[in-house]
Amino acid sequence: MDFKKLVEDRHEYAKAWKKRTGGKVIGWFEPYFPEEIAYAAGALPVRVLARHEPDYISDKWIYASCYPVRDITNLFLSGRYDYIDGIVNVEGCQWMYNAFEVAANNNEKLFNFYLFLPDYTDAPTSKHATRSEFQVYLDRMEELTGKKVTEADLDHAIEVYNTNRMLLRRVNELRRMERTPVLGSEMMNLVLADQVMDKAEMNKLLADFLAEAEERAPDKDRIRLMLIGSETFDTGLEELVEALGGNIVIDELDNGTSYYWNNVFPMKDRLMALALRYLGRPHCALKDNNWRRRPQHIFELSEDFNIDGALVAKQVYCHPHGSDSYAVWKILRERNIPYHYFERGVKLPADETSARLEAFMNMLKPGLNHLSGWHKAFGE
Amino acid sequence: MTREYSKWPETSWLSDSVDWRKAKTVAAGVDIGTTSAQAVVICDGELYGYASIHTGTDFKQTAEEVLAKATGNSGMTVKDIGAIGATGFGKINAGYASKSLDEVHCHGKGARFLYGPEVTTVVDLGAQTVKAIRLYEWDRVRDFMMNDICATGMGRNVEMVCDLLHVPITEIGEKSLALDGKTDPEPVSTTCYNFASTETMGLFRPEYRAEPLTENEVYASHLFALAWRILGVIGKLQPLDVGDIKVYEKLGFTGGLAKNSGVTKRIERELKTTALTSDWDPMLAGAIGAAILASE
Repeated sequence: MDFKKLVEDRHEYAKAWKKRTGGKVIGWFEPYFPEEIAYAAGALPVRVLARHEPDYISDKWIYASCYPVRDITNLFLSGRYDYIDGIVNVEGCQWMYNAFEVAANNNEKLFNFYLFLPDYTDAPTSKHATRSEFQVYLDRMEELTGKKVTEADLDHAIEVYNTNRMLLRRVNELRRMERTPVLGSEMMNLVLADQVMDKAEMNKLLADFLAEAEERAPDKDRIRLMLIGSETFDTGLEELVEALGGNIVIDELDNGTSYYWNNVFPMKDRLMALALRYLGRPHCALKDNNWRRRPQHIFELSEDFNIDGALVAKQVYCHPHGSDSYAVWKILRERNIPYHYFERGVKLPADETSARLEAFMNMLKPGLNHLSGWHKAFGE
Repeated sequence: MTREYSKWPETSWLSDSVDWRKAKTVAAGVDIGTTSAQAVVICDGELYGYASIHTGTDFKQTAEEVLAKATGNSGMTVKDIGAIGATGFGKINAGYASKSLDEVHCHGKGARFLYGPEVTTVVDLGAQTVKAIRLYEWDRVRDFMMNDICATGMGRNVEMVCDLLHVPITEIGEKSLALDGKTDPEPVSTTCYNFASTETMGLFRPEYRAEPLTENEVYASHLFALAWRILGVIGKLQPLDVGDIKVYEKLGFTGGLAKNSGVTKRIERELKTTALTSDWDPMLAGAIGAAILASE
C-alpha cells in the first residue's frame, strides 16, 4: 500500500467516505483533539494537514505566521476543505487558533468548537476540567450528528483507536533494530495517512504492512538520527536524510510518535479515561512549559533507539518550539548527544538543507556516507 | 554606466619554488560558491597554486575555469592530479572531482591549514551562508551552526550595499572603523537583508535625524548589524564551559567576508578576542580543505 498516495488523496478519500456512509467529516487542528468522541458519534475525524499551494489569500488574514498555518488557511479559503462539516481546535498554538478562527468566520455553516485543555496538564483539577470539556464537546457532536452516543459507542471507538496506536507502536518497534528495514519517510507517511483515514480501515492496512515489514531483510548500514521539533506535514526531510545515507529511526513530533505513544486505559468513566489519556500523552512544546517532562522523554527515546545524533528542526515563526528549543538543547548537551538545530519552512531548501545534513552526518560517522551516492541522490 | 563597486579583484598564483613533477602526491580542491569560486593545488602538503574568481552564470564553466587558472601555465592536467575534492553550493558542477565533500569539514580542515592546529572555532563568512564550526583539539568537527533563512550577515549583502552606496568593497570595512574616536552607532535591522539595506540607505537622509550620521558611521551601522547577526550564529554553538577554557580564544575566520575588517573587528570586539591570522587568503580555506580531505 502506498501510504504517501493516501495522504495526497486525502480529500478524495474523505469525500468518498462521506458519500458511502452519509456521516459527517470533522477537521481537527491541534494534537490534543479527542478523536474517539467524534468517531463514537459516527463522524470521520481528519487532521487538517498543511500542503503548500500557490497562495494569494492567506496574507489578508494571517500575516507572518508559520507556513503550516498560512497553508491551512489558504486551503480552507480556497475551497479545498469544502466537504468538511465541522472543525475543532484544542487549546494550544495561537497561530493555529488563528487559522481555525479564519476558517470558522469565513463559513457560517461550518460547525466549530473550541475545546479548552489546560496548559497545566498535571494540576490536580486538570483532569476534571478536561473531562468536563469533553462532555460539552460530546453533547455538541450529538447535536451535529443527531446520534445519541452510548457507552458502547465510546467503548468501540476507544477499542479501535487503541488497536490503531498499538499497531503503530509495533511498527515503530521495528525501528529499534540495528539496520532497521523501516525508513523514517515510510513511518511518517504511515502516521500522516493514519490521521486522515477511518481508523478501522487503517487498522487493516497497518496489520498488512506490519506483517510485510517484519519479513523484510535488514537495510544497509545507515546513520541513525532522531528528529525533534515542530510538526511537519510531508516527508521531504526524511527523504533527504535517506538519500544522503542516514535514516530517521525515531522522532519526537506531535504528528509522529507523540500521536500514537500512549493508549486509553479502560475506566468506568469513559470520558475521564479519555481525559487522562490526552493529558498524559507526550507533551507538545507548548503544554510542557510547566513540568518539563519532554526533555526527559526525548532522552529516553534517544537511548532506546540507539541514535547517533539528533536533528532539531523548527518551523520558521514557530513560537512554541522557539521558546522550547533551549530546554531540548540543554538535555542533549548534558547527555552528550550530538545534535544540529535549524529552521525550516514547509518547503525545504534542498541545497542548504543537504549542506547541513552532509556535514552533520560526516561529523557523526566520518567516511561512512562520504557522499559516494551524492550525485545519484540528485539525479546526476 | 554604474561602476560595480562590489567587484573584488580576482587572483591567481603559482609557486615558482615547487616542481610538481617531482611531487609524490598532487591533490586539488575546488570550492564553487554562489558568488565566488576557488581552486587550489597542493603538492606534498605544500600549496602549489591557487585561483579565486567570480562565479559566473555558468557554474560548469566556472568550475573548469578556476581549476585551469590554479594550474596556470604549469602544464598540469586533471589526469596529473591524484585526487580532486569539490565543495561549495555548486560542487556538483565540478565533473572532474573524485570526491564531493561537505563545506563544514572542508572549512574546518582548511582553517587548520591556514591558522595551525590551535584553531578551535572557525567562522566561515560566505556569500550566502555563515558557518560557525567548533573543532576538537584533535582533527574532528565537534559542532557547527549555520544561519537560518535571512541573508543579513552574508557576503552577498555587503556586495549589494557597496553597489547601492557606491563604496568599493575593499574599502568599506576600514572606512567603517574610521570614526574619529566615536563609538559605533546603533546597528540597522538584523531581521532581514532587505530591511537592513533599506534602513542603511535611509540613514543618509538628513531629515530623519537631528544629527545626521557621517558616511563612515552609516557603514559602521550596517556592518555592525551584519556582525550582530553572525554573532547570533556563533552563539548557538555548544559552549565549551569547561574549567578555564576560553571559548573564542583560538578563533579563525574563513570566506570572503573574512577580509572585511569592519565585520571581523566587530566580532572580535564582542567576543573579546583577537582572531588568528594567516599569510594566505582566507577565501581559499574551503578549497584547501577539499584538497586535503580528498587526498586522505
